[in-house]
Amino acid sequence: MNTLRRMVRGLAACSILLAMLAGSSLTAGAQEAYEPTAQFFVNDFAGVISDDAERRMVETGQALQQQTGAQIVAVTVPSLDGQSVEDYAIDLANDWGIGQESEDNGVLLLIAVEERQLRIEVGLGLEGALPDGKTGRIMDTYMVPSLREDDFSAGMLEGYLAVAAQVYAEYGIDASELAGYEALGNTAGSSAQSTITRSTLAKLSPIAVFVILVLVLGIRQRRRGFFPFFWFGGHGPHGGSGSNDDNPFGGFGGGGFGGGGGFSGGGGSFGGGGGSRGF
Amino acid sequence: MSRKLKPWHIVLIVVAIVVVALAGYTVSGYNGLVEQRQSVEQAESDIQSNLQRRADLIPNLVNTVKGYASHEESIMEEISAARAALVGADNTGDQLAANDQMTSALNRLLAIAENYPDLKANTNFIQLQDELAGTENRINQARRAYNEAVKNYNTKIQRFPTNLIAGIFDFDAYDYFEASEGAQEVPSVNFE
Repeated sequence: MNTLRRMVRGLAACSILLAMLAGSSLTAGAQEAYEPTAQFFVNDFAGVISDDAERRMVETGQALQQQTGAQIVAVTVPSLDGQSVEDYAIDLANDWGIGQESEDNGVLLLIAVEERQLRIEVGLGLEGALPDGKTGRIMDTYMVPSLREDDFSAGMLEGYLAVAAQVYAEYGIDASELAGYEALGNTAGSSAQSTITRSTLAKLSPIAVFVILVLVLGIRQRRRGFFPFFWFGGHGPHGGSGSNDDNPFGGFGGGGFGGGGGFSGGGGSFGGGGGSRGF
Repeated sequence: MSRKLKPWHIVLIVVAIVVVALAGYTVSGYNGLVEQRQSVEQAESDIQSNLQRRADLIPNLVNTVKGYASHEESIMEEISAARAALVGADNTGDQLAANDQMTSALNRLLAIAENYPDLKANTNFIQLQDELAGTENRINQARRAYNEAVKNYNTKIQRFPTNLIAGIFDFDAYDYFEASEGAQEVPSVNFE
């Protein structure tokens, strides 16, 4: 009895020591004012983008991610809270992890309404497709003229489509629906349905491929296709289908990978590429 | 279990557990410090590559401007001198100081360019301006990332109990790279 008590006391002392050590290495996490919305591709925190423009951007963003893995995210904020648009944009883009982690193929379009500042932040992997000079031209051609007249919807949408066209070109995909994106309205909104190209697969890490294989094999019985990082059924993201009764991996679609709305950042990094404009 | 454990056996076991835990903690603490020091050094080399990239852009810009404003010689010389100082500096701190000097010279050049409508409208000049602004921003962001990495690392080597490990294995603190006043401003391109 005596030894047992001593043993317990010794173990308790050890665990207290270990807890102290563990506790001392805890660090406070960084806080971020804005979290991505369920839409993910469009986050209109300033409330200046029309529903039509938003829908169009979300469709374009989903189709682009589906075909290339790249992510373009549009964000409007009422104010930068005293930060420079450059610092604000890169912190938000890195926090959200726009783009795939292995490819760093994300782009952030940020409009600050109060400061009348605009920035296109280009992920490290897309700096070749969107060098600073080109982002400057995109802003001057497609965004600034509309933004000057407070037409945030048109400015953001045209910029979004112009950037998407460049990313498609970088991946060697002929995006016919974006060929004449200057002339908005004459496009057929039908985007290509879920086909994973070989190049996309090749670009995913082997681990991701393994996970996909396991998931695909595990749920072969399901009628619809299943993709672990995002969900394409041809009808937009919907977190609800994760709760299908016969789906043994239900949690993955809704919360595990999809982050509620079905789309979320992949962990891409940014190094300050892109450009800024006042308008 | 038939043999009764003697008290000193228990003590020995407890001591062994503590020693193993401490050794494990030391190894992981040491590796953590090495990792953080590595990220500081990585951040520093990011600053340097962006500084180099900027220095490479300058001759292009100067040549373009010369085509339109050949008699603005003093500002050109100032920029060339700052570039030479940047390329010649042998540590990141001096390079950044030279870079700040170059930034202020470039801002003056951009102000001068306002007087030359043809130059201002030149697409090559606009593109160079964008690339310069972008590179300047990359330098600022790399500097922020560096300072952040240094803050984490310096905090860690001062905090108990990692400070003991840092002391034993000679992990020294790094200096921050503070941006000089006014150099923080990224030259912004405005088309009125």
